[in-house]
Amino acid sequence: MRQLLVLTGSDLLQRLRDKSVLIFALVVPMALMSVFNLVFSQADDIEIKPLTVAVSAPADDDLAAVLTDVLRSLDGADELDVTVEEVDEAAGRRQVEDGDAAVALLVPDGFGPAARAGEPVTVEAVRGDEAGLEADIVLSVVDGFLKQVAAGAVTARAGLAEGVAMTDVPALVEQATTGGPAYDLVRGEASDEQLDAGAALVAGQAGLFLLFTVGFGVTGLLVDRESGTLARLRSMPIPGWVIVASKALVSFVLGTVATAILLGLGGYLFDADFGSVPAVALLVLCATAAGTSVMFLIVRVARTSEQAGIATSIVALVLGIGGGAFFPVSATGSLSRVLDLNPVAALLRGLGTTSGGGGLGDIGVPVAIMLGFVAVMLVVSRLVPDRGALS
Amino acid sequence: MTDDVLVVDSLVRRFGDLTAVDEVSFRIAPGETYGLLGPNGAGKTTTISMVAGLIAADAGTVTVAGQPMTPRTTEPKRHLGLVPQELAIYPDLTGRENLALFGKLQGLRGVELKGRVDEVLTLIGLADRAKDRSKEYSGGMKRRLNIGIGLLNRPTLLILDEPTVGVDPQSRHAILESVEALSGEGMAVLYTTHYMEEAERLCDRIGIIDSGRLQAEGTRDELIRLVGGVDTIRLGGSGGDLTAAAEELRLIPGVERVEAERRSAILTVKDAPALVAQVVGTASARGVTLADVEIARPDLESVFLHLTGKGLRD
Repeated sequence: MRQLLVLTGSDLLQRLRDKSVLIFALVVPMALMSVFNLVFSQADDIEIKPLTVAVSAPADDDLAAVLTDVLRSLDGADELDVTVEEVDEAAGRRQVEDGDAAVALLVPDGFGPAARAGEPVTVEAVRGDEAGLEADIVLSVVDGFLKQVAAGAVTARAGLAEGVAMTDVPALVEQATTGGPAYDLVRGEASDEQLDAGAALVAGQAGLFLLFTVGFGVTGLLVDRESGTLARLRSMPIPGWVIVASKALVSFVLGTVATAILLGLGGYLFDADFGSVPAVALLVLCATAAGTSVMFLIVRVARTSEQAGIATSIVALVLGIGGGAFFPVSATGSLSRVLDLNPVAALLRGLGTTSGGGGLGDIGVPVAIMLGFVAVMLVVSRLVPDRGALS
Repeated sequence: MTDDVLVVDSLVRRFGDLTAVDEVSFRIAPGETYGLLGPNGAGKTTTISMVAGLIAADAGTVTVAGQPMTPRTTEPKRHLGLVPQELAIYPDLTGRENLALFGKLQGLRGVELKGRVDEVLTLIGLADRAKDRSKEYSGGMKRRLNIGIGLLNRPTLLILDEPTVGVDPQSRHAILESVEALSGEGMAVLYTTHYMEEAERLCDRIGIIDSGRLQAEGTRDELIRLVGGVDTIRLGGSGGDLTAAAEELRLIPGVERVEAERRSAILTVKDAPALVAQVVGTASARGVTLADVEIARPDLESVFLHLTGKGLRD
């Protein structure tokens, strides 16, 4: 045990003195986080502009009046600034053409009676060329209103067809057109497993560069072999496993510390909260173990440290991009299930759970995926022919 | 000899179809310096890799200080000091840190460790640079540190694998002097080289290895006797006729054979330095004006050529 600590301590000291580990493990990912944050935060910053809706509706149509009231009620809701102007049809069209209104809603005469009778009726929506997202919101509300009206008409016809008394039909229509659903949607404590854009960037870069960082430990076996120090170590009165274990420990310590710093510092700088510290710590430990286990496969198949470096970069980029380090990745079929087994994806999913309020009890799946990945990598690394430093 | 520090018995190592080491056997006694002399690819490094327990033998045994050596054994490695051909030091550690690291791995600790590190630093002449990182050392200083690490545990058997490859003449001389001093202290040394001069200068006994097989072993004189142990004197004339002097030259005691032409002659003799004056005098007395005289004595290069049919640097 003493020899293991001596070797590990010495290796860590060298890694700290050799600035490349600090650059790859901390400086580069923090720089990338900053750049991506600047780029993507602007994309996420959608501006909702004030909106004028010109409504042309029959004066004596109570259902059309309800529609107008619904549009007025949007003003002030969810940052919307909606002004409703009641005009005639020609003025409505002109206002849209002139850019004075984003949307004109042209309700035809006889709209209310036709809608109640379930007869075809067309409400024309004229959308201005300059209209933005806010116009789409208004139109989707109108669409929803019209669907509710149609549902009322269908309900009335269905009630009469089934023998419902005429006196009960208005109540049914009322429920169908104005009532909410017969169930409640209650927000539970479990998270939706989705990180917001800023947190996803921090977590993604931390997961990606974790794979580079752990490479500084285990693949050091190849550097030692090339320099002759591995031969010297193996001529010492220490068991061979101590040498390998010390490199694994170096990988584990570097990976854990670097990822913890990236999540902590990145979270602070980019306003990302990953939630329960014990749960996040467990995820980081499992992800580091997964990354370290890949290195054992690489060090077994690579003949030189240069080959190992290239292989590490390929593995890191494939797992990182596939895991959603730069942008969300989705797939269908078998590929989707393969992507789910990616430790970077598991880390991000786990952090999504913790950031949504999940604790140790909620991260069983990502933890199991990462530990399963460790087991598979260790088994595979034992089975493949050894061409590298362990031979 | 039961007190031999190293006993290598019928060692075999194959890499696929290639037999890199084939039935190699030799022994080294305490205080003896044994040289493995052979060209690149002869099997020297593979042999010492098995001796140091770095790789397993396919057949045969290695015994160090009476204990069997394999890659899994640790106890015999306590008696071992290995100086690999490469600079097996950590460039980001200081000289002192390098020595302390390997000292700790060899089981030294506390006051004993510090004292031994100080001793070795003084021995290799790096005491005043001990706090500098080894990547800042000159090539010669790195070589000395490389050797110093091998001496930390006062090994019973020191293995030096071509320690002078790529070294400037001054550092090379210093390394050879250090090895001579170590054998004088009773340490057994296994020294591999493809430099004939180093083997002749340092080694009490020499094993000539080629194509994985130990072709011959013995002291320098024993090996030279394998090629007959005779010298040659070459004469080059600028006046007179050497064929006219050939008969008189053959009559000189110690001269075994004379092959003469008008302007040149080759004499095979027992002891060239002792006879050269008499040979020159005889030729001059017969009216021959000599332009050059050359003495050639057999060396390990000749032995290697005799045993393998090729030169050491082929």
